[in-house]
Amino acid sequence: MQQTLTLTTSALLKYTFFSIIFAAIILLTIILPAEYNIDPTGIGKQLGLTVFSEVKAESINNEPTDIGLTSQTIEVIVPAGRGVEYKFIMAQFKKLEYEWTSNNTPLYFDLHGEPKGDTTGYFESYTIATSDEMKGSFTTPFAGSHGWYWKNTTESPITVKLIVKGEYISHSLKQ
Amino acid sequence: MLTNCQRYGLLSLIALMALWLPFNVFAHGVDEDTRAFLLQNTGVQIIPFLYIGAKHMVTGYDHLLFLVGVLFFIYRSRDVLLYVSMFTLGHSLTLLFGVISDIQVNAYLIDAIIGLSVVYKGFDNLGGFTRLLGKSPNTKLVVLIFGLFHGFGLATKLQELQLPADGLIANLIAFNIGVELGQFTALAFILLMINFWRKHHSFTRFAITTNSLLMSAGFMLIGFQLTGYFVS
Repeated sequence: MQQTLTLTTSALLKYTFFSIIFAAIILLTIILPAEYNIDPTGIGKQLGLTVFSEVKAESINNEPTDIGLTSQTIEVIVPAGRGVEYKFIMAQFKKLEYEWTSNNTPLYFDLHGEPKGDTTGYFESYTIATSDEMKGSFTTPFAGSHGWYWKNTTESPITVKLIVKGEYISHSLKQ
Repeated sequence: MLTNCQRYGLLSLIALMALWLPFNVFAHGVDEDTRAFLLQNTGVQIIPFLYIGAKHMVTGYDHLLFLVGVLFFIYRSRDVLLYVSMFTLGHSLTLLFGVISDIQVNAYLIDAIIGLSVVYKGFDNLGGFTRLLGKSPNTKLVVLIFGLFHGFGLATKLQELQLPADGLIANLIAFNIGVELGQFTALAFILLMINFWRKHHSFTRFAITTNSLLMSAGFMLIGFQLTGYFVS
């Protein structure tokens, strides 16, 4: 049974040498630029392979567009005698850290999530209380929209200052 | 007969196509969803852990490369079974031992060693050890040793996830069995392809190219993982 090839020593060394050189070229021009943004030759950038780390840097530095990894402050105005919902579209098992305050005016609220694509009106409440501030975090049990319903029973509008940080796809106000 | 120039041109083409595969998706850690599951998991979950283990093996390109190397000149089912069992034995021992006794080894270094195993096998298939040392190292032993390293790598990755102690042993065993099932699936495909190819003249003709390529891919893995080790 043949177990190995038989090459002359010089051929063996030649193939070994070439395989190292080839590996080095691919590493320096393709793998390292794409994986670690290490681009000693500049070829990776010309090939457009350094985009991965550029995208990563952008999503961390700029305003969160798709992945909110920096904290963001949102002001939600709850009109007099009305309730509003502010929701974050999130995938399953994503975390959102939050902190909100309504400037010493207690509001009834329901922090809850609605599964994506659900038409039955089902929702799951994480917290229901009346408070003028709250701080905490939650991890989504399912993909869908997650957020607060605040109800203003007073005669004047109330501004809720909401600070969030987490992995959400988008966020919006629902009246 | 191809000239060296043509041979390396072909080699580069194949490698470039292989590189097109999204590295991060196939990197043999665990993907996002799996991670989320593992973090939320409590208690014994045989089937999910079986699946994660199997998936790990089927999508782990570094192990597949090593298996291609090991199986390149082996076709008798008895030998195949023997080599695979050695790998499995090594793998299982350190996976269980590593997690139970809480041993963590740097994953980049382990993956670099797995890269080295690919280089070793490519070089060995080229007859390198026979030529330089007069004899080839005992493949069964080497496969066992690399299996041991691989198990440590897995153990480290599983520990990063801080699996709950509840049902840990059963889950680990399920994971390990999954790894073996995945390995057999991968092996079946690799054997099928190699054995089919073996019947053709091109097998002999490209044997040198294939094993040089294998060795080169191993070097790439080493460079990739070592760089990761130094930059992280």
